[in-house]
Amino acid sequence: MKIKKVISLLCTAAMLLAVPAVNVYAGAEDQSVIVTMPTTSEPESGFDPAYGWGAGEHVHEPLIQSTLVRTTKDLGIENDLATEYSCSDDGLTWTVKIRDDVKFTDGEPLTAGDVAFTFNTCRDESSVNDFTMLKEAVAVDDTTVEFHMNEPYSIWPYTMAIVGIVPEHAYDENYGQNPIGSGRYIMKQWDKGQQVIFEANPDYYGEEPKIKKLTVLFMEEDAALAAAMAGQVDLAHTAASYSEQEIEGYGLLNVETVDNRGFNLPCIEPEEKDGIIYGNSLTADVNVRRAINLAIDRDEMIENVLNGYGTKAYSVCDKMPWYNEEAVTEYDLDAAKALMEEAGWAEGDDGVREKDGEKAELTLMFPNGDSVRQALAEDTANQLRELGIEVTTSGVGWDTAYDQAQSEPLMWGWGAHSPMELYNIYHTIGESGSAEYSPYANETVDNYMDEALASSSLEESYDLWKKAQWDGTTGITQEGDIPWIWLCNIDHLYFVRDGLEVADQKLHPHGHGWSIVNNVDQWDWE
Amino acid sequence: MENVRNHRKEIRGQGLECGKNLQCRQNLEFGLRIRLNQRQKARILLIFSVIFLTVTVILGICFHDAAMVTDFSRKNLAPCLSYPFGTDWLGRNMFCRTLTGLSTSILIGILAAGFSAIMALILGICAATLGKTADSGITFVIDMVMGIPHVLLLILISYAMGKGLKGVIVGVALTHWTSLARLIRGEVLQLRESEYIQIAAKLGCSKWQIARKHMLPHLFPQFVVGLVLLFPHAILHESSITFLGFGLSTEQPAIGIILSESMRYLIMGKWWLAVFPGLMLVLTVVLFEKGGTALRQILDPGSVHK
Repeated sequence: MKIKKVISLLCTAAMLLAVPAVNVYAGAEDQSVIVTMPTTSEPESGFDPAYGWGAGEHVHEPLIQSTLVRTTKDLGIENDLATEYSCSDDGLTWTVKIRDDVKFTDGEPLTAGDVAFTFNTCRDESSVNDFTMLKEAVAVDDTTVEFHMNEPYSIWPYTMAIVGIVPEHAYDENYGQNPIGSGRYIMKQWDKGQQVIFEANPDYYGEEPKIKKLTVLFMEEDAALAAAMAGQVDLAHTAASYSEQEIEGYGLLNVETVDNRGFNLPCIEPEEKDGIIYGNSLTADVNVRRAINLAIDRDEMIENVLNGYGTKAYSVCDKMPWYNEEAVTEYDLDAAKALMEEAGWAEGDDGVREKDGEKAELTLMFPNGDSVRQALAEDTANQLRELGIEVTTSGVGWDTAYDQAQSEPLMWGWGAHSPMELYNIYHTIGESGSAEYSPYANETVDNYMDEALASSSLEESYDLWKKAQWDGTTGITQEGDIPWIWLCNIDHLYFVRDGLEVADQKLHPHGHGWSIVNNVDQWDWE
Repeated sequence: MENVRNHRKEIRGQGLECGKNLQCRQNLEFGLRIRLNQRQKARILLIFSVIFLTVTVILGICFHDAAMVTDFSRKNLAPCLSYPFGTDWLGRNMFCRTLTGLSTSILIGILAAGFSAIMALILGICAATLGKTADSGITFVIDMVMGIPHVLLLILISYAMGKGLKGVIVGVALTHWTSLARLIRGEVLQLRESEYIQIAAKLGCSKWQIARKHMLPHLFPQFVVGLVLLFPHAILHESSITFLGFGLSTEQPAIGIILSESMRYLIMGKWWLAVFPGLMLVLTVVLFEKGGTALRQILDPGSVHK
């Protein structure tokens, strides 16, 4: 990573030197923008949805291709290519009608056949996103496509919102390098490791893009800051630690997100299976988990770590249509201490609680090199020390983190535009009878989520997703099992050149990359 | 043995002569300035290095707990009286962190360099005494290890050992023995042909006796100096692979981590995060180097004239 960083720095430096003094307001005249993104945002396998473009770990609109539907500002669903869609009562067949006036940029019309081809390809090829619920996509006629599902999947529209439709006639293994789509932009040039240049699609079927040319530069935050200071970019991504920096001619834009950070608390007593320890004797007690949640002062944490650029998080899906507000838990150290006493953890001489001779100790892990998560882990450790729990922090690599997280808390980052994330985190998987990332199982919660997926409409499913979080008697919130503690949503920060009007953003998901340009076509220069 | 003793006497003689010369010069200058001869200088330098490094290690160990404390109420402070090296973005005391980091580096260096040197000694002697096959085998391994870029091999070994403290120590130990091994091999080859060894063999001394009584005392100065001069390499390499993210994990106070973290904040003008730890690292390495050279001068005065 570090080597990559150095290389990118050098490349950037070389590039900046090579471009002789760009006219500061060049962007305003020809309606172009230059945007920076982290080097990890560059799609390694190209701009192919089957290999994660738009529909990968970090979801965003694919720009080059168009999607059947798209998410609105409040994370509902609106039509894009689709004119209408419906689901059969048993939830096993989705029928989507599409527009007949859409052409790919090579002049060929976009038909239902292309749609079916795209989804079948994704089902067969995608390793970064889950398409196992899809049995087959079939083009009934030129404008109707049917999705036959293996199991009911009421939130299918959220999948349709991220898969860009590719042309069957022009698709081969090199598609990702030379993508052809029907979206708002055409990819003109890709200098790997450096930049991608997009130009507006003149034949776009929707509203004409105001920004005609988009250049995306890949660089780390420090290089992006340097580029902004040199006046070379119009919008530079940045981190909270740089937010105090003032750059002449630039303003700071903060975009609210569901890019949350939180840690898991294993809910079972420790046991060993296949060389991996599952469970933790301290956090197996629900009162301890509740006490921890009460003892977290989220306001202080956001001020300390994020310089105030964040919002308090109480769940993995704050402010989403499927978020249950019962999750809100106010900071109350005294109540937390009372809970610990109740659970039998009495305060020892050194301030650390003890029970049956065992000390209340935890190791809180964070991914090596992620300074924000490290700071959150350190602040959590400081706050839990007040409660009488001795927390040591430890940096880990992702190669071992997943296994270690089965027995010790890990500082995670989540946040997606789909309720499926609740399922991934809290639902038990397969025969293990336990959730995937941290030992936890609650049959009622499982049932609500299964019901939600089986329901025949999206609106209906929202209620069930909410019930899965808290139905009045059980769930995953403070009064329930509280198997995960959520700390904050991290605002995505950008330095924006004065005069550039960035259109309103929907809540960004996890990933500080492509989301900002979701609506670049609606940006404007003053 | 006699030979070695003679050799030593000769050395002392040289030293005395040197001293006399200087004494004269000092007299000539009416003692206005205290002039030290090379040997005295070397001794002082050596003592200073040893004291500095020992104090660093002890302080570092004492400060270990303080180095881990994060306090957001004092983050990003520039150097001041209470925090001579400033604080970082987690409000950690950089003075404590730097010293703890250095002491970790020095301890890793001693462990890895010690192991490396012993390996070099054994392999060097084996190569020179166990016949042609062993020699060509060991020389091949030496060439192979030297042929691969140091840092690359270090990263590979450290990664394979699961990174962390263990990975770094094993990595450094397994990559630094080659040049010393080659030196010792050459020395032993030369010794083997020397008269007193030949005579000892003729007199019926066993190979083991020759190695222990005649060769080891002769090799000792080379070995000790080689060992000390391995430290700076070991420390620098420990810092570099930690800097690159293949060494210690990031909550640990280590110079490599401190420096790689500081990169992010340099552009904000937080120079103290890199300057002081960097200077301390350079100082440590230079002192080890100087201390090693001084040690050579004391153990092997003839080398001064080279």
